[in-house]
Amino acid sequence: MIDRRKFLTTVALGTASAAFLSACGQSSTAGQTGSAENPVTINYTWWGNDDRAERTRKAIALFESKNPDIKVNGNFTDFAGYWQKRATEAAGGGLPDVMQWDLSYLRDYGQRNQLLDLGTVKINTDAFDKSLLPSGQIRGKTYGIPTSTNAFAVYYDPAKLQSLGVAEPDGQWTYKEFNEFMLEVGQKGNGALYGGTDYTGVWWMFNIWLRQNNIQAFTDDGKLGFTKDDLKKWWNTTAELRGTPALVPEERVTQLAPKSAMGSNVTASEVTWDNFMAGYLGDSGAKELKLVPVPSDDPDNLGLFLKPSMLMVASAKTKYKDAAARFIDFMVNDPEVGQIFKTSRGVPASKTQRDGTTFEGTDKLVVDYEKSIEKYLKDAPEPPIVGFGTLEASFKRVSSELNYGKLTLDGAADSWFKEAEDLIKQNA
Amino acid sequence: MTQSPTLSRRSSSSASPQPRKSRRRGADARAGYTFLLPWLLGFIALTVGPMISSLYLSFTNYNLFEAPKWIGLDNYVTLFQDERFLQSVGVTMQYVIFGTPLKLAAALAIAMLLNSKRKGQGFYRSAFYAPSLIGASVSIAIVWKAMFGDSGPVDQGLSFFGINLGGWVGNPNMTMGMMILLTVWQFGAPMVIFLAGLKQIPADLYEAASMDGAGPVRKFMNITWPMLSPVIFFNLLMETIHAFQIFASAYIISNGEGGPAGSTLFYTLYLYLRGFSDFRMGYASAMAWLLVIVVGVITLIFFKTSKSWVHYSGDSK
Repeated sequence: MIDRRKFLTTVALGTASAAFLSACGQSSTAGQTGSAENPVTINYTWWGNDDRAERTRKAIALFESKNPDIKVNGNFTDFAGYWQKRATEAAGGGLPDVMQWDLSYLRDYGQRNQLLDLGTVKINTDAFDKSLLPSGQIRGKTYGIPTSTNAFAVYYDPAKLQSLGVAEPDGQWTYKEFNEFMLEVGQKGNGALYGGTDYTGVWWMFNIWLRQNNIQAFTDDGKLGFTKDDLKKWWNTTAELRGTPALVPEERVTQLAPKSAMGSNVTASEVTWDNFMAGYLGDSGAKELKLVPVPSDDPDNLGLFLKPSMLMVASAKTKYKDAAARFIDFMVNDPEVGQIFKTSRGVPASKTQRDGTTFEGTDKLVVDYEKSIEKYLKDAPEPPIVGFGTLEASFKRVSSELNYGKLTLDGAADSWFKEAEDLIKQNA
Repeated sequence: MTQSPTLSRRSSSSASPQPRKSRRRGADARAGYTFLLPWLLGFIALTVGPMISSLYLSFTNYNLFEAPKWIGLDNYVTLFQDERFLQSVGVTMQYVIFGTPLKLAAALAIAMLLNSKRKGQGFYRSAFYAPSLIGASVSIAIVWKAMFGDSGPVDQGLSFFGINLGGWVGNPNMTMGMMILLTVWQFGAPMVIFLAGLKQIPADLYEAASMDGAGPVRKFMNITWPMLSPVIFFNLLMETIHAFQIFASAYIISNGEGGPAGSTLFYTLYLYLRGFSDFRMGYASAMAWLLVIVVGVITLIFFKTSKSWVHYSGDSK
């Protein structure tokens, strides 16, 4: 039978080690280090779907054939996991040599000396629009080179609208008209197709709305430039639509993630960046998707801007600065790379690359869209505040809880503001 | 605590001080420690070291990039004003309180079924143990997510009986049930231990009870339960601690966000998000230490109460 002494010792040891593990397992996950055996192998990482992975693979093969002295080791994940991985690597001092980057996280890593000052290496930026480059710069140092630009737009699927007998929008609309459009689609869609997703949960759309109302999202000293009432007013924009067929229910959105509702053919429209075109087409299998400008209650001020859709950055600790610079230069300037990616990264930022790329079909739609809104464009935003990535994620989360009915409008605004103020205080 | 009387009893009875013997014993001990050395080094470098540094970090504002700055108890104080922290505590407690007993009940029930001598028992034992071998893996969480999604097998199966709940994955009121089912399904490890315990109970006790006319319930309450109580205690302790550490499945099912509406925001998941998404490693370290303390206190309570219901061989009661 079970002997007391032996048993207790086993339990005590087991418990102790389990408790130890519970403490350490979580906090000591070491970053993965890239292989450094081969001195000319650089690691490159990006986020994206299978479509982008395939295009990137082609671009890397092309680079390697042109630069036989450099091998590129590629690796990718989805957007959310991407940043957690980078944080782990940064903590372990093992960031990949070259990385695809997002504006939201440029300050977090740039200001904390994790990224290489690209002004110190040879990258040709002659072919770049001078108003775009500052969005990769912090305090006079260049941490990121934009690969391409994107702008906010409303996507819709003309075939789906036609089958429902809904007229195609012309993109000159107020928020009320946009809401009515989504409601009409939802009502005629009869549960099989919804109008769209709740666009008030998207930070950048909120930012555009603020610009339409001449409010700055962040003040120059890194504080919030809008009030709780602004935020409540914004979240109220779609209050009447929640629970109607205009908006896809939050339950569905959650279950479809990481795929979008539009990519899953559940909605007929979506408000997001124009470079998602290739991904949406691939996911949904739709023949054609069209782009129109976002709604605005002020027809002369659409609040739109061109943002670097992504940047290329290098790790401050890379041992192969030269190889990294050559790879970045190639990825942003080479016309053949433009041919490979078309508009799936956004419209190429470098004129050399843009002019060397032939845009047809849907790619032409994206390029034409950015041309069509040229007269409405305002300055590109500066890299947002430190910790912006967290704020952006919590904006989405809180608004999702609002849609679930778990938070009231006041509660949601309070909750987000508390978090934002806490974060700004933390990073001050 | 509980062990000290037993330990001292042992040392007083077995240690007979003879010089020759103790010399040999010293050599034995040296050899023992030498063999232990590789593990000991690993334990100190990989477990004790990081733990001590995490204790230090929990009093700092460490953010992964910059040198940590001492901020005293700030992290611990902030924790209790953090709504999401409190939510994560609530979610985790729900999971521990409902998930663990259910899992143990399932494990014990199956173990008792498998304890009888029938043909093919070896196969059934392996079959029932299998889920817990693969249960912690990423793939199972993904399968679970698909099973409980909109129009997944569970949704369709229930709809067949006229129960229309829709997908569980997107419904904040159903996700906890789904997570608990996932853990209950992984009853294999405690089951094997129960089975080993059941095999230790002398058959003549049951025979004697049958002679006296005891039914199955009586036999369970008066023989199985007390005879098995050390094993039940062990499993309860281990599974409770294990439940507090749930991470991987919640991470996969909620895309690493703890949603929908925070319903799968388990303690360790929130800890991870704070550390690696928000870069607040000091805060995350404070959370880790709070968890260690809470788990320690719960273990202590278990040991204290165990005196009244756990019976060991050789005990006089």
